[in-house]
Amino acid sequence: MERDKVIEVKDLVKRFGTFTANDHLTFDVWRGEIFGFLGANGAGKTTAIRILCGLSRPTSGRVMVAGIDASQKPEEIKKRIGYMSQRFSLYEDLTVSENIELYGGIYGMSMKEIVPRREALLEKLSFTSYGDMLIRALPLGLKQKLAFSVAIFHDPEIVFLDEPTSGVDPITRRQFWEMIYETASRGITVFVTTHYMDEASYCDRISIMSEGRIVALDSPSALLRQYGTASVEELFVKIARPQKIRE
Amino acid sequence: MKKLLFLLRKEFRQIRRNRFMIRAIIAVPILQMLIFVPAITFEIKRIDLAVIDNDRSQASRELVSKLTGSSFFVVTATPATVTEAESMLLSGDADIALVIPPDFSRGLAGVTTPRLQVLADAVNASTAQLSWSYITSVIRDFNREVIISTGMIPANMAAIRTGSLPGISVSPRYWYNPKLNYKYYMLPGMLVILITVIGLMMIGFNLVREKESGTIEQINVTPIMKWQLIVSRIILFFIIGLFDLALGLGIGWLAFNIPFEGSLLLFFACAAIFLVAVLGLALFFSTMASTQQQFLFIAFFFVMVFILMSGIFTPTESMPLWAQQFNLVNPVAYLMRINRMVMLKGSGFSEIMRDMAMLTILALSYLSLAIRAYRKRA
Repeated sequence: MERDKVIEVKDLVKRFGTFTANDHLTFDVWRGEIFGFLGANGAGKTTAIRILCGLSRPTSGRVMVAGIDASQKPEEIKKRIGYMSQRFSLYEDLTVSENIELYGGIYGMSMKEIVPRREALLEKLSFTSYGDMLIRALPLGLKQKLAFSVAIFHDPEIVFLDEPTSGVDPITRRQFWEMIYETASRGITVFVTTHYMDEASYCDRISIMSEGRIVALDSPSALLRQYGTASVEELFVKIARPQKIRE
Repeated sequence: MKKLLFLLRKEFRQIRRNRFMIRAIIAVPILQMLIFVPAITFEIKRIDLAVIDNDRSQASRELVSKLTGSSFFVVTATPATVTEAESMLLSGDADIALVIPPDFSRGLAGVTTPRLQVLADAVNASTAQLSWSYITSVIRDFNREVIISTGMIPANMAAIRTGSLPGISVSPRYWYNPKLNYKYYMLPGMLVILITVIGLMMIGFNLVREKESGTIEQINVTPIMKWQLIVSRIILFFIIGLFDLALGLGIGWLAFNIPFEGSLLLFFACAAIFLVAVLGLALFFSTMASTQQQFLFIAFFFVMVFILMSGIFTPTESMPLWAQQFNLVNPVAYLMRINRMVMLKGSGFSEIMRDMAMLTILALSYLSLAIRAYRKRA
């Protein structure tokens, strides 16, 4: 079955001076799947995500995101994606509703479209009473859930989640993953990085990066079989470890 | 356009919630106007005078009382020796020392040539020159009285009675500031400094704070356009700058009764162009800084250079050629000149047209520099 590719990366190279952060990456992401992008710290994940989101230009190689060439029209890509970074990035001095309005507006929605969707969203998150609260006053777990909801508020084709659950308690993490599943079932592709290996096993497919290269890419169960390991954690430790330890 | 409105609403909401900013917007103009306008003056009101009177005659006492009779001099000490007076100049206890030699009265009587010595602390050259000219004018007066009383020139000459020796009579009229009120000179300049500092610092901190908190990264992955981001910021601080200008002007009028001869509309129009230049420059600086400290360092340096070179304290015409050429790109220098012309002289559009045109070119250049330097990436 020929699947619809929403991200196509071929021979992506990104160099910073003499340092090669991404060394000939080649992979595809299929529409509607949950794609886990794993790798140790410094493996080059964030660099790759930044290129996919149009925040950075590839040194060479071909990167197509939602049908658009990332080195030609990065601003076009931005219209079609959502992004949530490991650094919490809603405005702390705006209220929940105001943040939703702002991002809705930035993506070209009118207040007429924003208001009913905002109310529905607050309802769904059981956030109705928080609408007029400043983000600053919310606990981290709620902030992260809200940031995710804001990232998909404009119905993007793909949402990039860069370590979305770091520092969040297990219950909120579970709820967060329920949100991810629901998002994927709506047809939005989820591209997620994480350091929690239990989360990695929830993905449809995972790729593991080491020293700027992709060393493994398949469904979690297929990879477990291939490497003969019992858990994704074991698998990760086995293959993601750099050959030579830096520092 | 609609996106711009969303961004503007965000900026206004944020500034409204920022107590520190609100306080600064209100307090800075009040403090700056009330403190600096009356404090900064080149007038010399009290010159500390040390008198070494080695003559101790009636004539020497008359000279000293004539000096203290003017409002400029205060005899702070009467040291016995010149060495002592020198050490007072050195320590700053005296600004100027007058040495009256022992044969002063004999000299006045025609026996010898009367001589006086004046020693001035000239660390500040302009103060020294002013003190020198004050003291010599008092001495000249004294001299004339001596000439009359000793009958060297007939006392019935009318011109002498009225206080001037025959010659050309020059009577000054000080135009645009008839009372030579220094506050009138400083206030238009202080208004320029006020909006420079407010505009430049506030917009810079606003932008760099978003870099620090990481919110700008989120904005950068949205399809918002560079100019929309930049314009939304400029509008907010443009309004704040004009508000503070009006506040500062109001204080000047209430507290110092500053005259305003020209057109208010022209005054605010020039300030508006100036603000675009300053805000553009601040945006440009903010692209070079990733923390608020870095921004502060860059901005502080340039603000200081711009202000000191602008002609607020010293006339730009007396500056070396390279400094005058630098002022071609110094927005503060243009508005400094325009404000004084419009406020004090009542100059109209045709008189300030050239400066206005140059300021407009600067504003457009700085703004496009900022837009070019701004990157919607990491």
